Amino acid sequence: MKLKFIGFFTLCLLFSCNRDEQKDNTITFWSSNASQEILFTAYFADKWNENHSEKLESQPIPEGQSSEEVIMAAVVGRTTPDIYANMWQGLVEMYAKSGVLVPLDTIEGFTDFIRARSGEAVVKEITSADGHIYQIPWKINPFMTIYNEKKIAQLGLNTVPTTYSAYLKAGKDFSKDTDGDGYVDKWIGDTEVKNIWHQRLNNFYPLYLAASNGAPLIKDNKAVFNNEYAVGVFNFLQTIYREGYFAKESNTVGSDKFLAGHTATKWTGAWDVSYLERYKEDDFEYNIAHLPVPDDHRGVVYTYADPKNIVLFNTCKNPALAWEFIKTMIDESGDLKFLELSGQIPRRQQIKENEVFQEFLRENPKIIPFIDQSNFVYGTDNCEVLIEVLDIISQEYESCVIHNKKTPAKAIADATRAVDILLGNF
Amino acid sequence: MHVRPKKKRSIIPYLLVSPYLLFFLVFVAFPVLFSFFLTFHKWNIISPMEYSGMDNYTRMFNDRLFWKSLRNTLWFLVIHIPLQIIFALGLAVFLNSKIKFKGLFRSVFFLPVIVSGVVVTIMWQQLYGFNGGVINQLLNSIGLGRVGWLTNPAMSMPSIAIMATWKNVGLYIILFLVGLQAVPEHYYEAAEIDGASSWQKLWYITIPAINPTIFMVIILSTIGGFSLFIEPYVMTGGGPLNSSLSSVLYIYKQAFEFYHMGYAATLGFAFAFIILIIIVIQKKYIEKKY
Amino acid sequence: MKKALIYICLIVMAITFLYPFFWMIMASLTPEKLIGSLTFIPDSFTFDNYLAMFGKIPIGRALLNSMFVSSVITLGVILIGAMVGYALAKTRFMGRNFIFYLIIFTMTLPFQITLIPNYITIVKLGWVDQYTALIIPFLVNNFAILMFRQSFMSVPQALIDAARIDGCSELRIIFQVLFPSIIPTIVTVGILTFMTTWNEVLWPLIVVRDEMVMTMPQLVTLFSVGGRADAQLGVKLASAVLLALPIMIAYSFFQKYFIQSMASSGIK
Repeated sequence: MKLKFIGFFTLCLLFSCNRDEQKDNTITFWSSNASQEILFTAYFADKWNENHSEKLESQPIPEGQSSEEVIMAAVVGRTTPDIYANMWQGLVEMYAKSGVLVPLDTIEGFTDFIRARSGEAVVKEITSADGHIYQIPWKINPFMTIYNEKKIAQLGLNTVPTTYSAYLKAGKDFSKDTDGDGYVDKWIGDTEVKNIWHQRLNNFYPLYLAASNGAPLIKDNKAVFNNEYAVGVFNFLQTIYREGYFAKESNTVGSDKFLAGHTATKWTGAWDVSYLERYKEDDFEYNIAHLPVPDDHRGVVYTYADPKNIVLFNTCKNPALAWEFIKTMIDESGDLKFLELSGQIPRRQQIKENEVFQEFLRENPKIIPFIDQSNFVYGTDNCEVLIEVLDIISQEYESCVIHNKKTPAKAIADATRAVDILLGNF
Repeated sequence: MHVRPKKKRSIIPYLLVSPYLLFFLVFVAFPVLFSFFLTFHKWNIISPMEYSGMDNYTRMFNDRLFWKSLRNTLWFLVIHIPLQIIFALGLAVFLNSKIKFKGLFRSVFFLPVIVSGVVVTIMWQQLYGFNGGVINQLLNSIGLGRVGWLTNPAMSMPSIAIMATWKNVGLYIILFLVGLQAVPEHYYEAAEIDGASSWQKLWYITIPAINPTIFMVIILSTIGGFSLFIEPYVMTGGGPLNSSLSSVLYIYKQAFEFYHMGYAATLGFAFAFIILIIIVIQKKYIEKKY
Repeated sequence: MKKALIYICLIVMAITFLYPFFWMIMASLTPEKLIGSLTFIPDSFTFDNYLAMFGKIPIGRALLNSMFVSSVITLGVILIGAMVGYALAKTRFMGRNFIFYLIIFTMTLPFQITLIPNYITIVKLGWVDQYTALIIPFLVNNFAILMFRQSFMSVPQALIDAARIDGCSELRIIFQVLFPSIIPTIVTVGILTFMTTWNEVLWPLIVVRDEMVMTMPQLVTLFSVGGRADAQLGVKLASAVLLALPIMIAYSFFQKYFIQSMASSGIK
């Protein structure tokens, strides 16, 4: 092994081209792909550059099937930026363990700032197994149901149904063949059917958290989701597909069904509000409710936070300086700007009571349900192999929910068994 | 006769082939050896390698997705190759007859060949759409009902096979045309005198004469089938129910979604080995037949 | 009668080959909400999709990248292919046959084995996100070498001997003296190499993540499966049309050469 790499280095010397050496004092920043976030980052980068000699260079994360894939490739290829602002919480543990992230709690004033902004519960949630904190809780996108008010009213309902049986009934009433070609062309809702692991974060996982009041999938390195909630979610979705209440086709085919009025509901995050505002027709009216839950559900409805956090990679030469920049983005005025530009919720406590945000909330009432929901969210479990866990669940999901090949009970049992094997429990 | 200074002669050829040798060492020899070495390890690149013995091999034999991707690829070939031969040969025969506008037709049929596979895939993914796709709209309007081209697990590979045929048939038409034009005219004349029908002429004269071309179509299509990647990657993500998971897509997923480098290397070896065996078998049986 | 049947078949097939292109181009010019009902000509035309696309992805840059990468590779392949092919055809040295068989063997080696280690090589050399990663692994092309070898073998030895007497170095012999006699081969190798490297997408997907370095097919692929398009179908189709355009334009001018090149490649 060593010999091979000695051989390599010889070749290296023969062939290496000059890489673009990062200008030493420039901080590199990758924002997410979403157009509004690109704008947001550019705004703060410009502001910073006006007042500081150390420049900040921001770019959107390179395109890929998922941003997780792209970041992994950057880590492997050692082309990571100093700051990355869209790190999915579920991935942090794996990167932290491999030593590529900066332990932020070692920066002076960091933990206090975070505690003041987001609260103690969040601080606990983001602390790694080794006691350090490797991420800054930045934003969440609580998953809720957005519905087309007119279409729901057509069913004789005041608001979208939020229990399984009511939702299924609405599905039955709404999913019809309206153009007489022999095929259903209106559906009560729609969600991605491809079995790629991260798609389950858009359907199974949020519904599971809602049904179970925020229960984990993995706890103490064991699979703990073999319960009535997971089975219930599988059953609910399986019924939907079996009866044809959702289309069995990938979302990448054709145009947006919700905007076109072919579907009446959508399970999505807060970011969708600004997306809808941008692309909708003038007479399109929508409203927000929490996710469907089992009929016998009690208590507040939780949901998936879809938490995206900011991390510093250990290629960063000046973490303290980078942290100074980040503070400008997540202090009160920064969070407000973020809300204004992107419609996503900063992971800040007591936004509704905060004076800074009052005017914005008055002018954007549609976001208030998401802000309320943001007090009852859960992120992801601390698990190094979370992606593979979700992949396992995805395979069972496709088999049971979309193609009716297994009962929900068996699918969940098979999934938990496979996950336990993956985690090394026999 | 002329004198060549011996010293000059001995170095120059080596200099000329040196790029090839360097390339071979770095991009062929080393990878094959390193790949083999990797199959006995677990590695995700950012952490150190872990020796794992035969674990990857055992895992592969028990991996239903490995076998599934293999079956998928074979299923693809079983549909694609006959389609390819029938259409390419048929159209070539038509183009070889006495008609006008040959050049125009040829150009049209060849167009998909030069365009990127990505374009073809994006195009067809929309055409194959279950609810909004043009093909289904057409079928439904003439009373045949819709087909789950990409949503029915049994149809996904055939749909990709049809698209692949559409994309490549132009190339094979050209190859067949070259072969057909080499068949001596008097063979056909003699057959006509004997009263042979068109079918008989086709079967007893044309096909044996272009057997080498048919053989080449089979080999090229086989290699192409095992290289299937961008089509399932864009169109279906390998689904539904992993029915369009091709061998290369599976390697890509293991290597670049989960970073199981050792396992991916093992898969690579296995598939490469299988391809070589299939080609050898094809060579033995098909070439011998004629 | 039979002829009419043949014409009908050919015309039907021709329509089958042209319609998907036609649909895609039309759809890219259609406003988003009307795409679902499009079969032939849209009710209204718009360039919005193209404008939106230019604002979302650096497609112009990707076009330049593809041109750059493909051109450099094509040039390299021709130069190196000619050099090695010449050495194999016209010179005698120990190991000549061995190298020839090595080349044939390598051609049969499926890329599945070498894909991952080559990726790791690129990582270790620090070439990730660099043009070198896209170019260097493709500079030596077995097929080109064999084609040049074949070509050179049929060149009369007398031509070479005469040049040697004149004192030409080997390189001058290859490029100044012999090249003019093998133009068809050069054109064939050139077109094939350019085309296949232009359309290559798996390798760039693996070694390049920086959008500024991506090739055009790669960018369009990622655009169609990723999130930047905001789920707008028209925009994705616009990018696909733009991807197809350069090659289609080149094809319309050089049809004959394209077809001939691929035909002779198959035969060899």
